[in-house]
Amino acid sequence: MARHPTWPRGRRGRIWPGGLRRRLVVAFVLVATVSAGALAVASHLLVRDARLDGSLATSAAAAREDLNLAATITYQAAGDFVRAYEQRGAHAVLIFPGGRKVTSDAQVNPPIPAVLQGFVRQGQLGYQRMDVAGQPYLVVAGRVPGSDAQLYLFFSEQSIQRNLAQLRNALAAAWLGVLLVAALVGRVLARRTLGPVARASEAARLIAGGRLDTRLPVGPADEFGAWAAAFNEMADALEAKVAALSAAQARELRFTANVAHELRTPLTALVAEASLLGSQVSHLPDPARRPVELMVADVGRLRTLVDELMEISRLDAGSEPVLPRRVDVRSFVAALIGARGWQDRVAVDGGPLTLTTDPRRIERILANLTGNAVEHSGRDVRVRIGTDGAHGCIDVVDAGPGIPPEHLPHVFERFYKADSARAGVGSGLGLAIALENARLLGGDISVSSDVAGGSVFRLTLPLGPAADVSEP
Amino acid sequence: MDERLLLVEDDASIREIVSIGLKAAGFRVATAIDGREGLARVRADGFDAVILDVMLPSLDGFEVCREIRKFSRVPVVMLTARTDLIDVVVGLESGADDYVKKPFELPELIARLRAVLRRAAAPTEAEPILAGRLEIDPAGFTVRKDGVELALTATEFRLLFELARRPGQVFTRELLLQRVWDYEYLGESHLVDVAIGRLRAKVEDDPSHPAVIKTIRGVGYRLDRA
Repeated sequence: MARHPTWPRGRRGRIWPGGLRRRLVVAFVLVATVSAGALAVASHLLVRDARLDGSLATSAAAAREDLNLAATITYQAAGDFVRAYEQRGAHAVLIFPGGRKVTSDAQVNPPIPAVLQGFVRQGQLGYQRMDVAGQPYLVVAGRVPGSDAQLYLFFSEQSIQRNLAQLRNALAAAWLGVLLVAALVGRVLARRTLGPVARASEAARLIAGGRLDTRLPVGPADEFGAWAAAFNEMADALEAKVAALSAAQARELRFTANVAHELRTPLTALVAEASLLGSQVSHLPDPARRPVELMVADVGRLRTLVDELMEISRLDAGSEPVLPRRVDVRSFVAALIGARGWQDRVAVDGGPLTLTTDPRRIERILANLTGNAVEHSGRDVRVRIGTDGAHGCIDVVDAGPGIPPEHLPHVFERFYKADSARAGVGSGLGLAIALENARLLGGDISVSSDVAGGSVFRLTLPLGPAADVSEP
Repeated sequence: MDERLLLVEDDASIREIVSIGLKAAGFRVATAIDGREGLARVRADGFDAVILDVMLPSLDGFEVCREIRKFSRVPVVMLTARTDLIDVVVGLESGADDYVKKPFELPELIARLRAVLRRAAAPTEAEPILAGRLEIDPAGFTVRKDGVELALTATEFRLLFELARRPGQVFTRELLLQRVWDYEYLGESHLVDVAIGRLRAKVEDDPSHPAVIKTIRGVGYRLDRA
């Protein structure tokens, strides 16, 4: 079965499970801060203009009034006249024709801007904003009516500037506040929006990992709620389907095990009867002899089949234990071949190789592979022992007729018989059992075959200590 | 020859054909059809060996074997229909000396029976062996620990005797299978492991920390004179 990647791949080939959430938060914060910033700047500008215009209007009105008043002032009284402004927090400078200058505060003696002076000489009321001794002032000036004298009034705008600075600070603080609140709200919103997505991903992963009882909490009746409900329905259906399939499979496995088990008792009697009858063949009358021989052989076949059915159903049930020991493969294989009387037909090459593995299972596997080879090849079978670096390799090489390529992928299937040439004595389960046993030991069996030159079955087994060696 | 065997087997066909086969091989055979009857006959008559089916009505083979072990060291061969290792191990732990998997060829059963009978006969060497606090007397078929007699089955006795003849030597499972059980080739090594466990339960002060019969990882067992 093909493995599907857990996550769909993005164009950069990598997946950022938190990426969307971060992007949402960043977008939310950007929108909030840009709009809050624009509002703050605009309101600051509006307030500033309003305050400065107001200040100008008040000051201009005051200046007009004072110019009329100044028309009555003589040079002698000018000192008192201008000093009165100091009490109003302003400065005043009165310049009489001929350049005589009376200043409200001699220490400050504010400079008279030349441009403004030009305006005033032409008889206009003028104003200019300037700093005097580091303080902001609005200068309003005009020609005293009916005279060439000029009056310059310096109104402090310090309080306005202070107010505007406070406003700026307040707006900046508010803007920062908006930024923080936006980040927090954005995070919360993103989490609440994308939380169900993350939960669904996690649930899907759990289900893929075999936890079929995983369900999503169905929250409020919104899109996510509907999604969660649909997801749960899918999971219910999947769980029910898998449960039904597992139950069917378990039933089938149990049935096979029961059949094999029930066959055992009559088969035990049959085998005992056949073995007794077989030892009496020479005493039987001629016409009975051949049928008895055939019957004895067929009871043997039946016995092999039932044995193998039992074994494969135990392997399917996962009830076969592995009892690892240190095994010297070369002497083990030699003993196995000797015990079966194959010394003349099977040669052993290579080694030495020591594995930590279950000798009973190795015996099952190698007896099967070697037995097949002997059966199909007759003689010239070789068992080659070696390693490929990471695994111990045991090759069973025969010089038999070989397996046609179209059958090669199926030889480990249960009851698969390649062709009439290879069919016959075996139950059809031998290779399947050998493969199951190899997998139980953490190994594998592969096959290569050439119709002209025979077959090689390779058993690979882990070199390191496969499992904990537990011994009584 | 002429050993008296008891076959406890509930299936009539198997009971009859196995009896015929065993008689043909020269044994005298009595039969019982369930666990209770089998146990009663062993108690009443005594036999040279008992062949015990595992799946028996009324009292299963494991139970019968455990009961027999309470009063007799008669060799017991289990007939196990189930080849699940757990059943084999339970059978051996209940005190069986060997087992044969169903279905079996008669010569296989007869070979196993002859082996347990040989084991139950006294070893030819009659020299008592002293191994630490153990005193093993082949002639009397007895083992004493600190002077107290231990109740060992024939298999357990034979296993201890083999180990004690060469204290300090490591015996592989294969060698013990050959010497004690008469298996010619790769037998079932849990026969050895289970018997070692039962033996330790009887001879060790603390069977979970054996001081007399040591396990040599990946190799086998060794008797120390501790």
